[in-house]
Amino acid sequence: MKRMIVFFAAVAMTTTAQAQLPGLRKRPSVPPPAATPLQGIDALRAEFGTQSGGTTIFFGAESVGLTVPARTILAAQAAWLRRHPEIVVRVEGYGDSGDTRDHAIAVGARRAEEARSYLVLMGVPAAQLSVTSWGKERPGLGRAVTVLVR
Amino acid sequence: MRRFLPLMLVMGSAAAAQPADPAATVIAVPPLTSPDAGSRGNEMLAIGWQITQLIETDLRQTAEVMALQPNRDDYYSYPEVTAPNFPKWRSAGAKALVTGFVQSRSDGRLTVGCYVYDTQKGRELGRKGFIVGAGDWRRAAHKCSGLAYTAITGAPGMFDTQIAYVAESGVGDGRTRRIALMDSDGYNHRYLTKGGAMVLTPDIAPKGQQIAFVSYADGRPAVRLIDIASSNERPVLTSDAISFSPRFSPDGSRIAFSMMNGSNSDIYVVGASGGAAQRLTTSPGIDTSPSFSPDGSQIVFESDRGGSQQLYVMNADGSGERRISFGGGWYAAPEWSPDGAWIAFTRRAQNGRSIGIIKPDGSGERALTNGVGDEGASWAASSRELIFQRVGPGGRSGLARVALDGSQPRAMTIPQDGSDPAWSRVLDQ
Repeated sequence: MKRMIVFFAAVAMTTTAQAQLPGLRKRPSVPPPAATPLQGIDALRAEFGTQSGGTTIFFGAESVGLTVPARTILAAQAAWLRRHPEIVVRVEGYGDSGDTRDHAIAVGARRAEEARSYLVLMGVPAAQLSVTSWGKERPGLGRAVTVLVR
Repeated sequence: MRRFLPLMLVMGSAAAAQPADPAATVIAVPPLTSPDAGSRGNEMLAIGWQITQLIETDLRQTAEVMALQPNRDDYYSYPEVTAPNFPKWRSAGAKALVTGFVQSRSDGRLTVGCYVYDTQKGRELGRKGFIVGAGDWRRAAHKCSGLAYTAITGAPGMFDTQIAYVAESGVGDGRTRRIALMDSDGYNHRYLTKGGAMVLTPDIAPKGQQIAFVSYADGRPAVRLIDIASSNERPVLTSDAISFSPRFSPDGSRIAFSMMNGSNSDIYVVGASGGAAQRLTTSPGIDTSPSFSPDGSQIVFESDRGGSQQLYVMNADGSGERRISFGGGWYAAPEWSPDGAWIAFTRRAQNGRSIGIIKPDGSGERALTNGVGDEGASWAASSRELIFQRVGPGGRSGLARVALDGSQPRAMTIPQDGSDPAWSRVLDQ
C-alpha cells in the first residue's frame, strides 16, 4: 500500500497570542474547546486538508514512487500553497517499520524528496519547502512523510 | 599482549569440577590483601574484598575464563602477592591465579596492585598498578579483570569499557529519547541529553571523550557531537542537509556518515574537529551505515544499488568498492570488529531481523541470533562479543549481548527501554 502523509502544521507565531507564563497569575476559566472556533495554525491545517483532498498520501513497501492518488493530492496541495506564498512547510518522510534504522531514514528522506519535487513541479516555489525524515522512529504513521508549517 | 594457549589446552580436569564450558580456563581469584595495618588495614581489606568479587563477576561473564568462587576466609599475606603458593592453586584446579593488594595513600586515594600467574609453570603473566580515588575502586577491579582476560586469551578485556545507547521512555510520537551512557556492567548510568530532541545512533569516540550521534534538534536528522564531561553539543556539519549514521575512524580523527543529496544517500567523511566533508560514494541509491576497518584503511557500508541492501567494502578514500554479501534477504548496519577478523551485520528477511557475522572477504557467514527484531550490533573491545538492540514479542525494545561462541544472547538490565547500543574501546587510565 502506498502512503504518504502530507500534514500541514501550525504557523508557530499564531500560538503566542494564547501563551501564558505559568504561576504568574490565576488561570482564567476557559470555555470548552469544542465551542472555540479553529484559529491560526489549526484553521490553516484544517483548510489545507479539506481543500487538498487529504493530508496523507500512501507509499508501498520499499517504494518511493508516487501513486496517481498521491499526485492528485499533491497537485491540490500545490494549488493551495501557491495561494498562500507566506506559508513555509516541511515535507516529512517516514520509512518502513521493519527496516533497519539508517536505511529507513534514507527511505523516508527519499519519499519526502519525491513529494517535494512534485510540489515544485506543480509550481510551488522551492523556498516554501524543506524536507526531513523520521525514518522508522514514528511507526504509528506507517510509510509516510510530514509537512510542517513553520 | 600475551597469548596463553597452554592454559586453554590443558584444561580438562578442572572443567570436571566446575559447571563451565570445557574450553574455559579456570582462574583462582582469592581475596586481595593489604600491606596496611590496624583499622586502616581493615578498611583496605574490605575494599579488596569488593574488588575481588567484582573481578570474579567480570570474568564469569566471559566464555573463555571461569573464575573459582573466592573465599573470604582463605586469604594470603602481603608477601604472597608476588610469591604465591602455586601448588595450592594447582590442586584447587586453577590454571591461572590473580593476586593483588590495596594500599591507602597519604592523599586519600588508593593504590591497587594486580598480578596474574600461570600456576602450572609458576610464572608471572602480567602485573599492573592503578591509583584510583577511594570511590573509584570499580575501575581498578575492571582493569585487573582485563589484565587477567588478556593474559589468558590474548584479546583486550572489555570490562573497563562503556556502553552508550538511546534511552526511550513514554509512548507513541511523544516518546522521549535521550543519549545514555553506562559502564559495561550497568553501573554509573547517566543521561547526556535532556530529551527535548529525538536522538539516534550514538557512537563513542575511540578515546572515550565524545559521542557522535544523530539529533533532530533542528527538525531534521543531523550528525552532532557531544562532549561527555561537559554535555556540550555541536553540529558536525555546517550544511542543512539530512545527515545520519556517524561512525568514528579508529584514531578518532575522522567521522564517516551518510548525507542526503536530493533522493540520493552517499557516504561522506569529515574531520571530527570540523572542516569540509569529502564524498566517498557516488552511486545512485542508498549508501549508508559506514564502519571503518581497525587500521582505518577500509570502510564497510550497506548499499541498495543492486536492488536490495547488501554489504560493500571500499578503501577509505572511496576507491575499490566491492560487494561482500550474497545471501538471501537484506544485509544492513555492518560493524567491523576491533581485531579486523569479522564484520557484524543485521540481516533482514521475511521472518524478521537477526544478527550475523561475515569475514571481510565475504566468507564464513554465520548467524548469531534468530530474533525477529534484532538490529544494530556493536562490538566489544575483545572482538568476541556483541551488544545489540532486541525488540521483544511485546514490542518493548531492550539491549542484549551475544558471544561468538554460539551461546544464547543475554538481556542487559537498563532502567527503561533502549535502542542503538554502542560499545566503547578500552578506556585509558
